[in-house]
Amino acid sequence: MAIDKSLKNQYPVRNYWRHFMHRVLFGVLIAAIFGLSISYLFLGLLPVQSILLSISVTTIIITACVFGVLLLMMRPIHLIMRAITMRSGEPTVQTPPNPNVSSLISGNLKPVLDTIYGSSPMTPAVGFSATQAVTTATPALSLLEHALEQTSCGIIALNAERKVIAHNVHAPIKEGADKQPEIELEFINMESLDEWLDSLSNTAVHAEKTWQRVSNKLAGEEGRRMFDIIATYERGSQTETVIACYERTLQYMPEEDDLDFIAFAAHELRGPITVIRGYLDVLGMELEDSLDDDQRELLKRLVVSSNRLSGYINNILNASRFDRRHLKVHLKEETIEKIYDTISDDMTMRATAQNRILSVKFDHNLPTIAADKGSIGEVLGNLIDNAIKYSNEGGIISVYAEIEGDFLKVSVADRGIGMPSNVIENLFKKFYRSHRSRETVAGTGIGLYICKAFIESHGGFISVRSQEGVGSIFSFTLPIYSTVKQQLLEGDNLTLIRQQHGWIKNHSSFRG
Amino acid sequence: MAIHTVLVIEDDRFIGEMYVRSLSKSGYEVDWMVDGNDGLVAARNKAYDLIILDIMLPERRGNEILDALRNDTEDLIPNSKVLIMTNFEQDDESRMAMQYRADGYLIKAEITPRKLLEIIAELDAVSAK
Repeated sequence: MAIDKSLKNQYPVRNYWRHFMHRVLFGVLIAAIFGLSISYLFLGLLPVQSILLSISVTTIIITACVFGVLLLMMRPIHLIMRAITMRSGEPTVQTPPNPNVSSLISGNLKPVLDTIYGSSPMTPAVGFSATQAVTTATPALSLLEHALEQTSCGIIALNAERKVIAHNVHAPIKEGADKQPEIELEFINMESLDEWLDSLSNTAVHAEKTWQRVSNKLAGEEGRRMFDIIATYERGSQTETVIACYERTLQYMPEEDDLDFIAFAAHELRGPITVIRGYLDVLGMELEDSLDDDQRELLKRLVVSSNRLSGYINNILNASRFDRRHLKVHLKEETIEKIYDTISDDMTMRATAQNRILSVKFDHNLPTIAADKGSIGEVLGNLIDNAIKYSNEGGIISVYAEIEGDFLKVSVADRGIGMPSNVIENLFKKFYRSHRSRETVAGTGIGLYICKAFIESHGGFISVRSQEGVGSIFSFTLPIYSTVKQQLLEGDNLTLIRQQHGWIKNHSSFRG
Repeated sequence: MAIHTVLVIEDDRFIGEMYVRSLSKSGYEVDWMVDGNDGLVAARNKAYDLIILDIMLPERRGNEILDALRNDTEDLIPNSKVLIMTNFEQDDESRMAMQYRADGYLIKAEITPRKLLEIIAELDAVSAK
């Protein structure tokens, strides 16, 4: 049946003009009959004596009918010109016509527009191998198909409804609920393909975006592969979005496996770290009155170091949980001051032990925020720890907050070594460490990755401004409680989260 | 009722001693059990004001002990507070189930003895209200 239909419409573009002319002639005929009938009726019903008046009325009615026919003829020309304008690349405020609109399909204009947009005149079936079965492909096309099957690069084509309409064998594809192919990609801690396409709707005609380190499955799942991805969007094209997935499993997986192992090891480290921190605390309490200043300083260094170690272990465990989608935030009404209080002693001790001046100023009148106390405490701790690490002895680290629209913006500023702009764009990526920091300062490239994950799970943003040799300001935003109170009271924590995953981290109320 | 008697069920010698030492010095009357069976027996035999319960325990795990003491049909320890203290990574469901029946669920690595004392004081303040 499908083949019969395709033969019937074998030359839809070539035949378009003939069909169109038939329609126009038919339209003119109908309009003439309609016009004359109306005129006749009009003149017959009214006692019009003047021949001049009769001719005028008839002329007006027939002109109106002809004008209607003209409009009918002009519409396809208008749509074709809009499509050509889009293809020309000239800036325009007009939206290009969508060939998949039902009126255009029934009017046979779809193949014409598809040809202008440069997409294949034949509808591809699902999977290139399936295409071969139902169409008589030209030799050039079958060579291309052969090449697509051979390359390790996955290619996926989506239509305007974002349905997979074609893909090659290496593409990360899974079978969806209705047995339809679906893209199998996990955009963790980055803008997802859907979010990107949402941002393009009604604004862009042509766009392109690349992603790095995108996996098809979550950490720890069987058959995990990793890709760098380029998506190309062309509005109105039959294959509106084309995704090329360059497989990088061999390059990326060792680091991922390392993290898996380290997370496993980090978990084992929790026992000893409990003992070390605990007994240091016991010693601190019991020797409070008998230590001299020197010894007190040594004990403080031990406490600071064990706390930092504990922080790094938490980062690794959180990153590992996050990649497995096990990390959750539980948002409650909090004040930034109270959250800072949970880490205040530790931070003050860290700063003084390393000769930095920590200045924390939160206005008492700041509004309450919707936050997970434990997670935001860890974000602040990481940012302050970084500020200590990347600044010089005696340097001032300022922590402050201000209102920015519906958000509270919290900033940690240092007057340290700063960063060049090429470092900044990669800063929040997993395992990223700048060339210089690899050599001079310890770090895992996990801290800022997990900070971004936490902040975005709150519906906020994290950003940085920096100048080499001058210093850096890291800022993050958190929703003001009153702006999201309703969603929270309705028990719908998930609506706060811009990403599609509902991470609800259930920190105990005493964590901190 | 103010917290005075505490039962610590913890198999790690260092960690157990650490809690016992700091709690005793702060004036609490502390008993310490190192395996799950003994822990459950002790909790049944004496009405402690507070039970500090680990999860990974020999003989009987912490979640089983809590289930036996406090479940949907009965509560054998109506006057006791329960603090789960563990470094064990539980799945969400089991964690929520334990959290529901306990008064606190803490990660041991993050709770120093001084913090534990503060938390017990907070529990006390809550029960005093």
